Amino acid sequence: MHPLVEIKNVGLVYHEPHAETQALNNLSMSVNEGEFVAIIGPSGSGKTTLLSLLSGFIKPSAGEILINGKSVEEIDSSQSQIGYMLQHDHLLDWRTIEGNVLLGLQVKHMLNKETHEYALELLNRYGLYEFRNHYPRQLSGGMRQKAALIRTLAFSPCLLLLDEPFSSLDYLTRLKLGDEVYKIIQSEGKTAILVTHDIAEAISMSSRVYVFTSRPASVRSEHIIELNTENGALSTRNLPGFKEYFDTLWKELDYEQTNSKTK
Amino acid sequence: MNKQTAKQNDYSPEHILFLQSIRRTKLLINILRYALFVVFVVLWEVFARLNIVDPFIFSSPLRIIQTLGSLYKGGDLLMHIGVTLTETVLGFVLGTLAGTGIAIILWWSNTVQKVLDPYLVILNALPKIALGPILIVWIGAGMNSIIVMALLISLIVTIMTVLSGFMEENAQKQMLMKTLGASKWQIFSLVVLPASGPTIVSALKISVGMSWVGVLVGEYLVSKAGLGYLIVYGGQVFKLDLVMTSIVIICFLAALMYFAVQWFEKALVNWRSHSKK
Repeated sequence: MHPLVEIKNVGLVYHEPHAETQALNNLSMSVNEGEFVAIIGPSGSGKTTLLSLLSGFIKPSAGEILINGKSVEEIDSSQSQIGYMLQHDHLLDWRTIEGNVLLGLQVKHMLNKETHEYALELLNRYGLYEFRNHYPRQLSGGMRQKAALIRTLAFSPCLLLLDEPFSSLDYLTRLKLGDEVYKIIQSEGKTAILVTHDIAEAISMSSRVYVFTSRPASVRSEHIIELNTENGALSTRNLPGFKEYFDTLWKELDYEQTNSKTK
Repeated sequence: MNKQTAKQNDYSPEHILFLQSIRRTKLLINILRYALFVVFVVLWEVFARLNIVDPFIFSSPLRIIQTLGSLYKGGDLLMHIGVTLTETVLGFVLGTLAGTGIAIILWWSNTVQKVLDPYLVILNALPKIALGPILIVWIGAGMNSIIVMALLISLIVTIMTVLSGFMEENAQKQMLMKTLGASKWQIFSLVVLPASGPTIVSALKISVGMSWVGVLVGEYLVSKAGLGYLIVYGGQVFKLDLVMTSIVIICFLAALMYFAVQWFEKALVNWRSHSKK
């Protein structure tokens, strides 16, 4: 069986009127079905660029990206089964929570009785059902982001891309929601790629962490995290071994960050 | 609702005093508003009676009412109002529809927008009145020219206001739609248009006033009927009562149209927050 996501020697060059920027260089990695993989790297190293490539918004300058063995460039974007969660929830304030959650299904022309019920069931399962007729402004930041996750899950994506989804929240909400989102993704059995600059978040949620080099990004190292995640992402932070992972990743990231500044 | 009344009972004496003072200020403002109007009208009438101002040039409230009465009896009043109102409403509606339509096209194609940008700037700066004689020659000295004049005056402002509303719609929300695989049309109809509701309404408020300007200018130039015609005619034969009466009617109608737009705005807000999805 081949992995769900294969990224092979991918390079990307951004063109601007007065500059040409090599964002990714010879980057290879893969993600298996059901895995939760985290990517950390110095800021501006092209982590988000990689997610854009995976969802097919931009085309790689070199190499290829396969999802389920099929090149991303061949996938019709309206039919794509990739759920992308952004930093902010971007719920539409003139739609209710239910209306917002159905947005993806509507856009993809997948809204029918069955999928509608599934969306409501997700709302129910994760404690937002009673807020379905509320408007986004009536919900807290954490709840809004959870609604955004359910909007992403509603069309049953095979792969979730999480682009620093907690970074706009306050610290306490961030920890709680991280834990909750982790549980939701685990119980739905989704494959997920998390981009973050928060080392602890990466270790506590994922089973594998890729560290990117500074720009142009490629994979600097890969770490398999062997922590017991049965009790959720939050409790892994107390496990023995967590600190060692943290120190290792911190040193690598610090090296890359300093390195990028002197470049 | 219940919650609020329950709350009210729990307010501290200080808070109740505070609420009372707010209510008192509001009342005072309302009283002053009406008082200003009454004082103005009464002084006008008194000054005219005492010949402090010449009623032949300045008219007076009573003379205006009399003129209104005789116009109504003569059967012409409603016709003049009807003509002007038709022209204004048509100019306003057509200007808004065309302006919004063109704004949509410009939003759709970046290239078209960039190509047309300097033309819009120049057309916006051009006093549309300058086009009056051309319109008369092209379209004829009649109602159509007046409607086109009203349309032209509100058109460019509408395009610019609505387009800036569309462009403001933040790139991040469009990014979200892209992550869901939305087409350009879906981005427009599901995000950009509903989000620009308030901007479109504020464009309407501006163009209501603009349409009145257009219609009056048009009527000054060519008309044989309408309130603008009455003003020009009254000025030429030195019947200032007629001029003043027409101005009062226009004030009233323009305010009415503005309130209609405001009512529409409220209805839109209500619809947005009550519609289920």
